[in-house]
Amino acid sequence: MKKLILSCKRATYLISLKEEGKLSFRQRMQLRTHLSICSMCKKFEKQTAFISGNAKHSPQHADVTLDQNSKDKMKTTLKNIVDEK
Amino acid sequence: MDTIINGLAPALWVDKYADALYAFTIVRISDREIAKDIVQDTFLNAWKARESYTGKASEKNWLYAICKNKIIDHYRKGASNIVNVAAREENEYFDEAEHWTPDTKPGDWGLDYTQPVEKKEFYTVLEKCKTKLKEIQQTVFVMKYLDDLDSEEICKVLDLKPSYYWVLIHRAKLHLRTCLEKNWVNVQ
Repeated sequence: MKKLILSCKRATYLISLKEEGKLSFRQRMQLRTHLSICSMCKKFEKQTAFISGNAKHSPQHADVTLDQNSKDKMKTTLKNIVDEK
Repeated sequence: MDTIINGLAPALWVDKYADALYAFTIVRISDREIAKDIVQDTFLNAWKARESYTGKASEKNWLYAICKNKIIDHYRKGASNIVNVAAREENEYFDEAEHWTPDTKPGDWGLDYTQPVEKKEFYTVLEKCKTKLKEIQQTVFVMKYLDDLDSEEICKVLDLKPSYYWVLIHRAKLHLRTCLEKNWVNVQ
C-alpha cells in the first residue's frame, strides 16, 4: 500500500510539474490519489497556484528611485564617452 | 553633449530614464549595486550602438530593450556559474517519511484562492520573499512569472536541463509559499 501512495515530498514536486504541464498519465493518477487523502498537499496546490497566478501581475517596476549621487556618476561617465566622439 | 545625435539625446538619458530603468531592473535582480551597473551599462552600450538606432522604436523603448538584454546577460552568467544542484534542499520541509513536519505544513490562509489579490502589500511581501531565494531560483521565477516566458525558452536562454529547471521552480515555490504564509498571511 505504501508504495502506491506518494509521499508529500514527491506529491508537491508533482504539483509543481503539473503546473508546467509535464505529468504523465500515471503521475496524474498518483497525484490525484494522494490529493484525495492529503489536505495539506491540497492546500499546497491551491496556495502555490494562487502565488504564481498573482505573481504574473507583479508590478514591472519597483517603487524606488536612484540616489542623486549615483545619477551624477552615471552622467559623468556617459558625458566622458560622448565627448570623446 | 547637449545635441541630438541620430535622433538620440544622451545628455538627457540619465535624468529621463535612470530611475525607471533602475526600478525595472531591481525587481529582476535584487542586488542594488548590480542593478546600478546594469543601468549604467545600458546607457554606455546605447551610446556605442547609436548608429544602429533607426528611430523605429522610441528612444525609451530602445533603451529598455538594451537594458533587458543586459539583465539576460547577467542571468546567463549566474546560471553558468552553478556547478551542482544543492542536494535535497527540499528536505527542510519534510521529515524522514517525506511527510510535512508540524512546522512546515501549509496552514489555512483563510482566503478565496480563486480571487486575485488586490492589496499592494502582497506584492511588497512577495518581492521581499523573492530576494531571499537563491539567485538562480529567483531568476527562473522572474523569467517565468514576471517576464511570462515559457519553460522551454527559459531553459534555452540559461542553458539549463529541463529536469533541473523543474527542481528550481519547485524549490522557489516551496520557499515562497512558506515565506508568504509567515510574512503576509499571518500578519494580516
